[in-house]
Amino acid sequence: MLRVFSFLIAVYLLSPTVLVAIMSFGDAGSFHFPPRSFGFAVYQSYFDSGPWLVATYNSVLIAILCSIAVMVLVVPAAMAQARYRYRGQEMLNTLLMLPIIVPPVVSAVAYYGFLSPLGLTSSILGMVIAHTALALPVTYLVVSASMKGFDLNLERAAMISGASRVRALFHVTFPVLRPGLLVGALFAFLYSFNESAVSIFIAGRNAETLPKRMFGSILTDTDPVIAVVSTLVTGATLLGAVIWLLAQSKTWRSAINWPMGTHAELDRPTVKAGGLV
Amino acid sequence: MTRRAQKNSKRVGAVSVPWQLIAPVGLFLTIFFILPIGRMAYLSFVDPKFTLDNYTHALTVSLYASTIWNTVSTSLTITIVCLVLGYPVAYLLATRPGTLSLVLTACILVTFWTGFVVRTYAWLILLGNAGPIASLFRAFGVQPPQMLFTTPSSTLAMIHIMLPYMIFLLYAVMRRIDSQYLRAAANLGANPFIAFRTVFFPLSAPGVANGCILVFTMSLGFFVTPMLLGSPRDMMISQLISQQIEQLLAWGFASSLAMILLCLTVILLLIYNRFFGLTRLWG
Repeated sequence: MLRVFSFLIAVYLLSPTVLVAIMSFGDAGSFHFPPRSFGFAVYQSYFDSGPWLVATYNSVLIAILCSIAVMVLVVPAAMAQARYRYRGQEMLNTLLMLPIIVPPVVSAVAYYGFLSPLGLTSSILGMVIAHTALALPVTYLVVSASMKGFDLNLERAAMISGASRVRALFHVTFPVLRPGLLVGALFAFLYSFNESAVSIFIAGRNAETLPKRMFGSILTDTDPVIAVVSTLVTGATLLGAVIWLLAQSKTWRSAINWPMGTHAELDRPTVKAGGLV
Repeated sequence: MTRRAQKNSKRVGAVSVPWQLIAPVGLFLTIFFILPIGRMAYLSFVDPKFTLDNYTHALTVSLYASTIWNTVSTSLTITIVCLVLGYPVAYLLATRPGTLSLVLTACILVTFWTGFVVRTYAWLILLGNAGPIASLFRAFGVQPPQMLFTTPSSTLAMIHIMLPYMIFLLYAVMRRIDSQYLRAAANLGANPFIAFRTVFFPLSAPGVANGCILVFTMSLGFFVTPMLLGSPRDMMISQLISQQIEQLLAWGFASSLAMILLCLTVILLLIYNRFFGLTRLWG
């Protein structure tokens, strides 16, 4: 019974994705399902279409810049939270969670009003700024969960053996934390890549991303290319999920935890000292 | 960390603030998050002039008040349905690891990381006039009902979006429930149903609380899905906000609606924090 029910839920969850994938191979210009004929016509029109390719480029560019910025900001903060006890620590925790608490539409209105006097709406920079702030919480959860499991003695041992603080960080700490850091960066990328509400408000014409363009297209002409884009994006997501699973199984299951990072009940990972030498 | 351990580590550990580590993120969020929100809050009071008019307007004009109410009731529906659908799945994931669980996890992950717009588009086709469901109706010789641009269809799509969150949050708690407890209950003569009701379910209650609060607060802010799939007659608050800005340039009023949405969210989370502690929600 439970299995049948769960199977039905899996079908419910997957059916829209599968359906769109089938549609993407159908004949262009109709919403008939199943499509009357199959082919790559719609794919062809995607690769021939300037605006869709530009939107794809913008999406990837913004997501890459956003994940770099997020990592630069998050890694030191997560280290501070994991290693120090200081006054106001809880405040920083709350601050770091704020972007996820505030509903996306509220952030969208706030950014629209804030960025337009600065001339940053409809610009890549404006999008990167907004996405960086919004992707911070998820990445912080992942990265700090992986840091909680880190044994500081490894770093101490490196420094006692003569490594400078920086050298110890880059040669010992970060390599050990790599799975967690990679997943953190991946989450920031995916967050930015999929972000819709804020992008719809602030992306404008010059920084149009895929979600924004798809949204606009659904509202106006419902270009069948959406099915192709969706399928390609889902394919990329699948790839991301595979990377995630690999990273998870390869090293510590606990360090990465579930996507929301909740209840990070960390089993202390055992890091083999031999692997580091 | 227990309170005592925290106290001790405070006494022993460094009390100096690691400024060089936290200043970048602190400054960034202050300038590029707090400031924009603050500016919006300010606008909600002063645009077009310094009054509370925007707020009284939003809460008393029946069109706007009913939008707020509609948002709350839709979110409640989404939360309840997600809990009912998600609980058995999370239970399966937590108690019976195996191929099915692995496949389910993969399905959930893919869905989780597929954007709202993509999934909404899929529902647009699925429920459309030429879609498979409409064809099914026709196959039985029945004229398919209008499914797109109705409240049930947008609710269905929003449930689809929120279900993975609910399952994750439930699973996170359930997987820590020791299966020995259930065996102990069985040893003491409880049948599986009683063991579930008196042992497993109470232990999973924190997960239920987490899932419900998160799904509910996130649902309050839904924008893309109701905008593309829902009926224009039953707007959700986000649509109203976007309409006020994009079509009417009513910044002050839109800001006050956004503030109401924000306050609703924050109040709910504060109540949650009072009873359970927010830290539990995000590890």
